[in-house]
Amino acid sequence: MHLLPLLLYAAAAAAYAAHFARRDPRTGRLATATLGAGVLAHTFVIGMQTMAAGDLPLVGTSGAISAFVWLLGLAYLYIELTSDERALGAPVAALLALLEIIPALDPAVQPRPPLLQSPLFTIHILSVLFGYASFALAFVLGVTYVLLFKEIKAKQLGFFYARLPSLQILDVMNGRAVTVGWICLTLGVVVGGVWAAQVQSSPDPRAQAMSIADPKILVAVVSWALYAFAVVARRTAGWSGRRAAYLSTVGFLIILLNFVPVGLFLTKSHNF
Amino acid sequence: MRLFAVGLSHRTAPVDLRECVDFARGGLDQALSALASRGVGREVVVLSTCNRAEIYAVGETDATADGVGRFFSEYHNVPHARVAEHLYLRRGPEAARHLFRVAAGLDSLVVGEPQILGQVKAAYSTASDLHYTGTLTNRLFHSAFAAGKRVRAETGLGAGAVSVSYAAISLARKIFGHLKGRGVLIVGAGEMAKLTGVHLQAQEVNEIAIVSRTLAAAEQLARRLGGRAVPWAGLSEALADADIVITATAATEPVLTRAMIEEVMRPRRGRPLFIIDIALPRDVEAEVGSLDQVFLYNIDDLQTIVQENLARRSGELVRAEAIVEEEVLRFTSWMQSRDVVPTVVALRRRFEAIRQGELARLEPKMTGLTPDARARVDEITRLIVEKLLLTPTEQLKALSDEATVVAYADALNKLFSLAREQERGRPDLAATADPGDTDATP
Repeated sequence: MHLLPLLLYAAAAAAYAAHFARRDPRTGRLATATLGAGVLAHTFVIGMQTMAAGDLPLVGTSGAISAFVWLLGLAYLYIELTSDERALGAPVAALLALLEIIPALDPAVQPRPPLLQSPLFTIHILSVLFGYASFALAFVLGVTYVLLFKEIKAKQLGFFYARLPSLQILDVMNGRAVTVGWICLTLGVVVGGVWAAQVQSSPDPRAQAMSIADPKILVAVVSWALYAFAVVARRTAGWSGRRAAYLSTVGFLIILLNFVPVGLFLTKSHNF
Repeated sequence: MRLFAVGLSHRTAPVDLRECVDFARGGLDQALSALASRGVGREVVVLSTCNRAEIYAVGETDATADGVGRFFSEYHNVPHARVAEHLYLRRGPEAARHLFRVAAGLDSLVVGEPQILGQVKAAYSTASDLHYTGTLTNRLFHSAFAAGKRVRAETGLGAGAVSVSYAAISLARKIFGHLKGRGVLIVGAGEMAKLTGVHLQAQEVNEIAIVSRTLAAAEQLARRLGGRAVPWAGLSEALADADIVITATAATEPVLTRAMIEEVMRPRRGRPLFIIDIALPRDVEAEVGSLDQVFLYNIDDLQTIVQENLARRSGELVRAEAIVEEEVLRFTSWMQSRDVVPTVVALRRRFEAIRQGELARLEPKMTGLTPDARARVDEITRLIVEKLLLTPTEQLKALSDEATVVAYADALNKLFSLAREQERGRPDLAATADPGDTDATP
């Protein structure tokens, strides 16, 4: 089922890359249309899975990654349509296509165990994932900022100089993405905490393991603290530009770490 | 109907003459109506920019081109001899190629500059609003817009700054986004400082501050730029407020040292500082460029950028010319398919002449016929001619590509000796066949 969105994301990534290299406006519009079709197809897939299972498919690696990809696609499209700037399309669509491989290979929808049948759980997952999607955008913006910064600083005006928007725009968008992501992550962590307190009495061993000592929760709190620092330092200490770009790169690497090795092997509370 | 382009440009005429024949000064509508009142050309469009004055006209013969040429001198009260030697004349496809190259910026002083397409559009819409255009000019100008747009979209011809001031501004834009409201500090009050200041002012920057060792010079430039003069002692404070600093003093020792800029950067909290050093010898220590969030460019760096952009543009020229050729081909094949009409007319006229000739020759033998019978003879011969011509006419009108039209027209000309009937017809083909320089002085 995830094959169609996967193919469309891959096609969009190729079209964005071609647009980036050749700067042909028609290819750019084609890329946007393909990505839009991909997100739409993905919406249908998630919708059908929801109808079949009775719940949003958020459980399991496939479900979580699928939801993350969908949210990132939506967030990116929103930014592209409001800023009319397609320079970030290639890396974002490539990331979407890469991550979408996982649900495409393992499309089975895991039923939600009774422990997770709570609206608080749904809010927790959705807001955390949306936060991560924002951080992914901030990461891409940060990397492009550093690439452009280095070209201008070294006086070698070349490939990126001709194609990327200004440092100022990249920096402002990075700041917004980090702020939105941090707010979502805060909401997600708080709701998660409330929900964990509610299910504390449950016999499920995972509910017992919900504590700050669990690797998944610990790493999430670490990344939350890092982004909190990024948000505050930008406003009070002028940590914008390259420093902010580096912070959002490190932050997103921590999140990827939490998604794959920690989420799959180490956690005792979030292993669903 | 033939297409003519008559005009002069920065390539053929000195600037004082170009100023003399500027049609835009008195209003394009005036020029158009003056031209129309002389009965020169069925369709006319006047294009007048600071680098060129051109008239595109549709007429029957070269007399149209002559009339347009004389209009240049008579409308502006300039001796014709003075204008004539600088005028160029292009006919048919050559005229189209010329306009397409102009619209694409290939004929501009700075190749690839984007303003010209807008100027061509304005010239066309003025003429079109006043109903001086027709089928041929409408098609011609819309094809020119298409050629201009394609060159802009499909090549890098217009990309990259090709002057030092503009290179500095486009760098500043890459760093700061738009420059509106940005603080600018000019150190020095010389000619170069003034020039760059004027360019920056056009970007709606915040008030420009000028620091100079002699306050009077700073005040003079400040008045010129609408900025404010700052005494030399206030340099550090002025640096703290600035986003963009231009240094252009005649000093032999560096004016901005690493220690100074380090001091300035600390309270800026990461706000970038773009320093453009256009002085020779340098005003800014090279080590300043290694400071975080400081971008330092000197005049050599900017000139390197300009050279690279110029080289890149010339690399794009071939692609741009190819696009123009494609559009010229498309336009001429359309024009040729219209051009078949005169051949058809000539052919019919030839057949009709033969019929009339034969009827006249047989006149003595038909004296015995009743008027009714004679009318029937006339009718029958006319019908035979019609029937004979029906299929060839349809076939000719269905032709679309240039080469076939030319071949068919040539064959018909030879087979039926149409040349004389054609005299009013289709000389554009003759112009195409004429190789080499089509420039002439009408």
